[in-house]
Amino acid sequence: MEVVVQVVFGLIALFILVAAAMVVSVRNVIHSALWLIACFFGVGALYLLLQAEFLAVVQVLVYVGAVSVLILFAIMLTRQISGEGVRQLTSRWPVVLVVTVLLFATVMAPTLINQQWNVPPAPPLGTPEPIAGPAELGRGFVNEFLIQFQVVGVLLTVALIGAIVIAFEERARRRRVLTLAEELELKRLRERATQTETPEPVEAEPVARETRPASEG
Amino acid sequence: MYDMLAALINGALGWGWPEWALNLLSYILIVTIVLVVAPLQMLFFTYYERRVIARMQDRVGPNRVGPEGIWQPIADGVKMFTKEDIVPQAADRIVHFLAPCVVVAPTVLMFAVVPWGPGMVPVDLPTGLLFFFAISSISAVGLMMAGWASNNKFSLLGAMRAVAQMVSYEIPAVLSLIAIVMIVGSLSINEIIAYQTGLIISNRDLPGIPDLGLGWFVFTPVGFVAFIAFFIAALAEGERTPFDIPEADSEIVAGYMTEYSGMKFGLFYLAQYVLNFLLCAITAIIFFGGWQGPGVGWLYAQGITPDNPNGNGLFNVLAGVLGVFYFLLKTYIFFFVMVWLRGAFPRLRIDQLMDFGWKFLIPLTLANLFSAALWVAFTRWGPAEGMLITVGWSPVLRWLAAFVVTLAINLGVYLWLTRVYAASQAERRRAELEELSAAA
Repeated sequence: MEVVVQVVFGLIALFILVAAAMVVSVRNVIHSALWLIACFFGVGALYLLLQAEFLAVVQVLVYVGAVSVLILFAIMLTRQISGEGVRQLTSRWPVVLVVTVLLFATVMAPTLINQQWNVPPAPPLGTPEPIAGPAELGRGFVNEFLIQFQVVGVLLTVALIGAIVIAFEERARRRRVLTLAEELELKRLRERATQTETPEPVEAEPVARETRPASEG
Repeated sequence: MYDMLAALINGALGWGWPEWALNLLSYILIVTIVLVVAPLQMLFFTYYERRVIARMQDRVGPNRVGPEGIWQPIADGVKMFTKEDIVPQAADRIVHFLAPCVVVAPTVLMFAVVPWGPGMVPVDLPTGLLFFFAISSISAVGLMMAGWASNNKFSLLGAMRAVAQMVSYEIPAVLSLIAIVMIVGSLSINEIIAYQTGLIISNRDLPGIPDLGLGWFVFTPVGFVAFIAFFIAALAEGERTPFDIPEADSEIVAGYMTEYSGMKFGLFYLAQYVLNFLLCAITAIIFFGGWQGPGVGWLYAQGITPDNPNGNGLFNVLAGVLGVFYFLLKTYIFFFVMVWLRGAFPRLRIDQLMDFGWKFLIPLTLANLFSAALWVAFTRWGPAEGMLITVGWSPVLRWLAAFVVTLAINLGVYLWLTRVYAASQAERRRAELEELSAAA
């Protein structure tokens, strides 16, 4: 059983790494976003492997169902989505590689050296396993981690209000695309305005002109 | 499923199979059943919808292939398979090919947590309800892929509309379900069904009510508001007619499906009807007790269950048949309502759709969440949780208080919201007219 878990973990980890590498190396932005979704799925599978079922489901719900859809939305609303002619590497890429590897190493090296790597022994048979279920998580949110939970809540509310402020447009400054019904209404209003300004002796003609589009539609 | 097979093979037949063989056999069986049932339901639903809508429009509908046209869906399926598969020259071939798969796969996966009868759930996940909605949100990615890869502006517009609609209506749908989850105290779909025993009043809320399998959530004020909100949101998620803006054929041909032909189009069609079936099914499960109904609980108690291993297997079969009958009956009634709405209402405009979702349904479901909390407080909490008013009250009085308070809150919020919403819509219309007259 242990071997099976190891093999599955290896496969999922490989998949995540390949997907993550594709995200940054693919030229087409949409393809890159799709690879990112594949990467999110891989992380969800890892959670399942760790028996954190609730976290896996939330990963799919939040990242695949919401975040990635918003990313796709944002990309599709921009022009020039295919960057086929864009060069991805400058001529000095070896220097960049060395610098990033060094920076990464300074972060990772102390962890790798100081880590004891002793896996805790398996608990005796019969002890209930700690389950990361929704009830336990919820209790944690309202007891031990109340402050953090509230801070995150305030942060998200601020982000939400900020998004509304940025996206808000004054009605007067907005250019509207009229629907057919509104164009008809506009035409009628204009005709009425010209009628009141210069009262024509013949009144039957504009009325007939005005009703024709309505009957056609 | 595993219990049943174990009881049959190792108990009744006495073969003594090892556990892994039983596991393998039961899961292969479950997967086969799920994969066969999903397309069959879709085939039946297309026929059902066409006949019902024909009757509403004073026509006959398909009646040539087989008795009363019952084989029409199969003829359509054969037609789909034999059609030419056309891929536009400028399309992104791989994404164009993957999109139908990404749309269909989640809908079939969602079947994994739908209980068909007592003890007849393919996988009883502790987070079943969350799984259902998490998986259903994946198909939005598939729609986006389809719309973009076709390289057609109608496809892209359709995909944008579909995804905007699905993302906005997921919120009221999930909020209305959270109210029920709060009352039950579990995300497991089986637990939610098990809560709805009783007669009009659930006997978990008020012990001592006889169990006729009729203690549905729709009979409580919280459940009723949640049901209405959820069903409207389900119409929008399933792209049913007042909300079929993504496929508005008079404006954008067929939306994200425009550039698909042959069996790829068939897969989109399949996904849509399977999703409609699932939405009707989940409405029936959460608010109308699923397989609960008069007699099922009693029959199941006589059969082989984990509590009662010496029961009679015949009762399991009887309870299963009756449970599936009740479940499918409720599901088909909800699909009938969906078709009925399609026959009765014109399509909404996209701004009306967004306004209704964000400015009416979400506040209503939020208020309903508050009522659900009060319901739990009145029926279950004691002085330990800080609920000092109900000390010394009898269960009947507590239930009555919960009913009256939640009814008052929900009714008040509903009436207030309708007035505010109507006033805001009127104000908007007036502002638009003013703008028009300024332009003229």
